[in-house]
Amino acid sequence: MVDLDSINIEPFLTRYDIVMESKESPQDIASRMYPEEPALRKVAEDIVFLRSKNIEADVQAALSEFSPNQVIDSGLLRGIEIVSEIYDRGIYYLPHVMVAADGFDKGIKVAEKALEGGRQVKGTVVMHAAEGDPHDIGKNIAAVLLKSNGYGVIDMGRDVAVDDVVATVLSERPNVLTGTALMTTTMSAFPRVAEKLQEKGVDIPFICAGGAVNRGYVESFPLGVYADKAAEGPKLVVKAIEGWDWRRIRENWDKLIRGTMEGE
Amino acid sequence: MATTKFNKMAYGSADEMVFGESKYPLSYGLGLKVGSGAVIPEINFAPRPGSEKTLESLKREYIDYITKDVLDRAVNLGFSSVQLENEWISQMGSNAEKLAKPIVMGQKELMKKYHDDYGIKLAIRHTIADQREGDGGLRPGMDGKHSYPEKLLESLEVACKNGADVVSIESVGGKEVADFSVVRQDIKGWLFGIGYLGSIDMEWLWGQIADVAKRNKVVPGGDTNCAGANTAMFMAGGYLDKDIPRTFSAVTRAIAAARTLVAIEAGATGPDKDCGYEGIIVKAIAGKPCAQEGKGAQCAHADLMGNLIAQACDLWSNESVEYHPEFGGSSVQCWMGVIGYEAALMTASKQMRTDKALRDTYVASDRFRSPESFILAYDNAYKIGQAIVEVGDSYYLRARAAGMKAAELIQDSNDRGRLKLTKEEKDALSRIAADLRSLPDEEGKFVDWALKEYANVPAFNPRNYEL
Repeated sequence: MVDLDSINIEPFLTRYDIVMESKESPQDIASRMYPEEPALRKVAEDIVFLRSKNIEADVQAALSEFSPNQVIDSGLLRGIEIVSEIYDRGIYYLPHVMVAADGFDKGIKVAEKALEGGRQVKGTVVMHAAEGDPHDIGKNIAAVLLKSNGYGVIDMGRDVAVDDVVATVLSERPNVLTGTALMTTTMSAFPRVAEKLQEKGVDIPFICAGGAVNRGYVESFPLGVYADKAAEGPKLVVKAIEGWDWRRIRENWDKLIRGTMEGE
Repeated sequence: MATTKFNKMAYGSADEMVFGESKYPLSYGLGLKVGSGAVIPEINFAPRPGSEKTLESLKREYIDYITKDVLDRAVNLGFSSVQLENEWISQMGSNAEKLAKPIVMGQKELMKKYHDDYGIKLAIRHTIADQREGDGGLRPGMDGKHSYPEKLLESLEVACKNGADVVSIESVGGKEVADFSVVRQDIKGWLFGIGYLGSIDMEWLWGQIADVAKRNKVVPGGDTNCAGANTAMFMAGGYLDKDIPRTFSAVTRAIAAARTLVAIEAGATGPDKDCGYEGIIVKAIAGKPCAQEGKGAQCAHADLMGNLIAQACDLWSNESVEYHPEFGGSSVQCWMGVIGYEAALMTASKQMRTDKALRDTYVASDRFRSPESFILAYDNAYKIGQAIVEVGDSYYLRARAAGMKAAELIQDSNDRGRLKLTKEEKDALSRIAADLRSLPDEEGKFVDWALKEYANVPAFNPRNYEL
């Protein structure tokens, strides 16, 4: 047997992930973004460095000095913003974001208890995986990211019938609908959903994503806005909340995704 | 059901493994021979969105367009042997008698015509859809809403009775826990999901598949951990992707091998499924023919081992391509050419006795492209196989041993300065190795712990696994 370890790989293989590895550490980035107040900073640090065991006690401590909304906005949500920044720079991986979001979830429950009338979400998103499609890992990731960015999520699960999606949108009146599909034969549910929603006069952005889904397909039917990755969800939803309709989001898609990812 | 567990390797050394040869070759279909001196191209396809609207449009798509195009191109290019694979779309699985049966019959009828007219050796694999959902229930009688377990078993009968030469499935047992764990980079949870729960589900499922297939004189091919290890591999992605570290996906692949092996232990004979990149480890242990996919499957996805994974295949596949026009013909015709020529190259090298040199060239070009390609290089895959059979009687212990061996191989090569890793990949590898080491040496203790630890995972119901 030949020595398979002896070959010089440089002429045909470049590890661009290693070439481009960030020289900055999560600490470097976080230190520029922390809130000044020590109690709020501690909450944000718990989120950024995945110390979910500390989060409930630290949120409770912060609530003795600050209002629940301040703790949420300047502690918990700031922590998530920092995590997103570190992730966008390619230093954190998705599981860091997911574990940070789990910590956020714990912390927000403590803060909400102290909040009269409950927390105001920034907007509501109805999410589903297409009829006939059991693959929902992408949807679940996107749901976590949207929740931890302050949006209310109504998760309809996977293999959701077209008529059920339409009925939920009509009853819940969300700002945005999302759909995911792994297969080309199940993504064909998306234009049917869009058509039925338009018949009912609904004109909200319908973010579509998933393995076999491509931008050309999603932009071939009304309402459709493409997302390549779950992390793009909050970047698109925020525009819907700001009042952009699906046409404007679609027209500015490249700038929104690329621009935001570059930290604009 | 009782299964026969592997406690020794089919091959005496890694070097014995090469493409186009297996310890237990097969003959089936319309004159096809697999694993006995030639690599067979296996062409896979998907209908266009919208074609599933009616039976007539779906039949036309599958039979008159796709199958005819494939066979025409195979004859035009002079390919001696071809296997087709029909991975059922969900609509076929939901109504097998009405939607799938006429397609299964029609494809086979057309294949017979080409076999009779030209003498081309042909076979078709039907991969039935596994639409079962953890929260709905994985066993018959549990899913009152969709009856997916019953539909799976009906699909099996319809495929086997109406024209399948090989039957396979991409089963989903343990996926609910694996999905939860992969996004949290929790290797212990992934081990529980795929290594343990997945193996239990495979044992239940494959006993039945093998039984129905053999009663109908159909080859019970094998499975793939597409639902678990491929999810991890695609999330790990390429050099621009940051969803999970590639060291994590590499270790999941090794664990998946211990689970995919169960199909063979329950009666499958190979060839197992193309998208099971763990197939090389399974082949090293069981010696059955295996299908693989790599550079000829760029129509479906990119992986970091396009050449390497051809190293010991018996069928060479394109994974799947949606039917559509290309400059060179329809998509299925173009990809038929891609995989057909590659298979011819491999088979010709066997005739020239340069097959092992070609195998090693494939391996050398991708060996250090990723941790996953590294552990799947045949020499390392063989070592992982050895780790599995050393504790082959316990689903948990062998899955854990496979993961630990993969982690050790990666660490060792990195320490020697060969396999490069990013900082996050290194950190993740250290955590994985520590996590796997920390687990108990007794299956019962592990299961007791895991049932408590993952009790609240959405869609996880221990009853699906008789726990």
